[in-house]
Amino acid sequence: MPIIRTHDLRKVFKALDRTPGVAGTLKTLFSRTYVERVAVEGISMSLEAGELVGYIGPNGAGKSTTIKMLTGILVPSSGEIVVAGLVPYRERKRNARNIGVVFGQRSQLYWDLPLIESFELLRAIYHVPYDRYRQNLAAFSKLLDLDSFMKTPVRQLSLGQRMRGDFAAAMLHDPKIVYLDEPTIGLDVVAKDAIRTFIAEVNRERGTTFILTTHDLADVERLCRRIVLIDHGRIVYDGEIETLKEQYGTHRTLIVEFSEDCPDVAVDGAEIESREGPTVRYRFDRRAISADQLIRRVADAYAINDVTLEEPELESIIKRIYLEGYARPNDATQASAAAR
Amino acid sequence: MVAFAPGRFIEPYVEFARKAFSREATYRFEVLTSIGSLVLRVYLLRSVWTALYAQNAAPADIPLHSMITYATVALLMSLILEVDGTRSIRDKIREGTIATDLMKPIDLPLYFFSEGFGQTMFHALTILPSLLLALLLVHIDVPSLATLAVFGSSFVLGYFVNFFLNFLMNSVAFWTLETFAIQLMVRWASDFLGGQILPLSFFPGALGWIVERLPFAAIYSTPLRIYIGELPQSAWPGALAAQALWLAIFAGLSVVVWRAASRRVVVQGG
Repeated sequence: MPIIRTHDLRKVFKALDRTPGVAGTLKTLFSRTYVERVAVEGISMSLEAGELVGYIGPNGAGKSTTIKMLTGILVPSSGEIVVAGLVPYRERKRNARNIGVVFGQRSQLYWDLPLIESFELLRAIYHVPYDRYRQNLAAFSKLLDLDSFMKTPVRQLSLGQRMRGDFAAAMLHDPKIVYLDEPTIGLDVVAKDAIRTFIAEVNRERGTTFILTTHDLADVERLCRRIVLIDHGRIVYDGEIETLKEQYGTHRTLIVEFSEDCPDVAVDGAEIESREGPTVRYRFDRRAISADQLIRRVADAYAINDVTLEEPELESIIKRIYLEGYARPNDATQASAAAR
Repeated sequence: MVAFAPGRFIEPYVEFARKAFSREATYRFEVLTSIGSLVLRVYLLRSVWTALYAQNAAPADIPLHSMITYATVALLMSLILEVDGTRSIRDKIREGTIATDLMKPIDLPLYFFSEGFGQTMFHALTILPSLLLALLLVHIDVPSLATLAVFGSSFVLGYFVNFFLNFLMNSVAFWTLETFAIQLMVRWASDFLGGQILPLSFFPGALGWIVERLPFAAIYSTPLRIYIGELPQSAWPGALAAQALWLAIFAGLSVVVWRAASRRVVVQGG
């Protein structure tokens, strides 16, 4: 049984139509016209317990709106949601016991108080038994290295420390599901890595289900097998990252460094993407020619020093989908993605 | 489901109050300045009232020593009553952090109340040093123990009337996001029409009759009139009942407003 299931979820906001300019402002004061803005349009998805899913989309795609509906603080305009057996907006408080949230841009820690006091407060809020609280606190302090700043007021923590604190705070009550909203925003490489390792560890050891919303696709590539891609409030792709890469990664790049300056380096089956001194980038369709064949062709014709094969990056694939829309390049794989 | 256990239910809110208390304590400078400004105001009021009384006979039959007592006790009361414990409602709405609070298994009005209460308790501690310092400057009449007890109850009622008034005011932010103008108005009304600055018996004729029946009188005026003995013992039950009535009305209004407000947040998004 899935732990999260939504069916044809829809959310429409009514917004005040503001006419720009001074005259417009005066007009808005007296006559109010509302425009409807569809934020989420027919989202159906289901997650199994223990999954770690990337929920990806450009700004304004409807990601936060979906998360707010899943957490029960927003009522859907229509459609169904069940999270761990509960309808979140009907049972906000009961649902709240099952979930944890981490927002990269907004802390849930007490700003003026030492970190440990926020944890104590959360223990009381969620009625975490003392044994369990001590166990969790010890485990998280170790994983996130919290000990050195446990007694420091939160306002004096660095962003990296604060985020680590926020992660521990979200997990103290053993939530079944954790929603992460841009959890690594603004962090340096080391801090990002610490957070990613923590998420992976908790997911593996405790079987916690994670929904990860982020613009940093390195987070997703490192942590998730499955992504749900949304745009304009609709799901455009739901499936494994590998499948998406196969579909979109029809073209690869072979970088060749020649040992001598050849005036003409053209090869059949590949086009030259760019050229910089002895280094040439070939773009080729892997369905037409294999990398192995291409390398042999180049090596037969010219003297070469070094070759590198570049895999398509998730980021460039997602960028293409944002710009061009999801093109369904291969019907068979699409069907398997939809069947999930 | 676990059987309903009041201790378990109340635990988070006790914690909220404790945290709010210690949070207030982190701003030591603010505490010192509020005590300092109070002492200064006591001195100024003493000078002003003394000068005024030297010109005229005692207005409204309040002798000078009662007037100075009134003004000083009013200032001491303001140490607690001016703490707006529900200000965080407005701040949280503006910053959008109310969304994270709604994602916790807590009752929000109770949460705001316990935070406000914790804050108040801290500021209550500043009353004693303020009182001692004020006593260096002015003499305060001390009424009988019975009067003090009734004053205490009246003050508690007034505290709750004030709390719900602030709660209602800050909840306006659910619709307007901004509450500065309305807060300024209500603050002015509750100070001036509520008798913090002047005893309400100074208001002439019909105006006096009206202001004594406004809800603001329940905050400062009623306890203060009990304290200085302006209100005869026979009038005490009626005065306390009037306070209780305003308390009930404001609490009821708060429930209604909160229901509408939380529906609005939930439907429109924080």
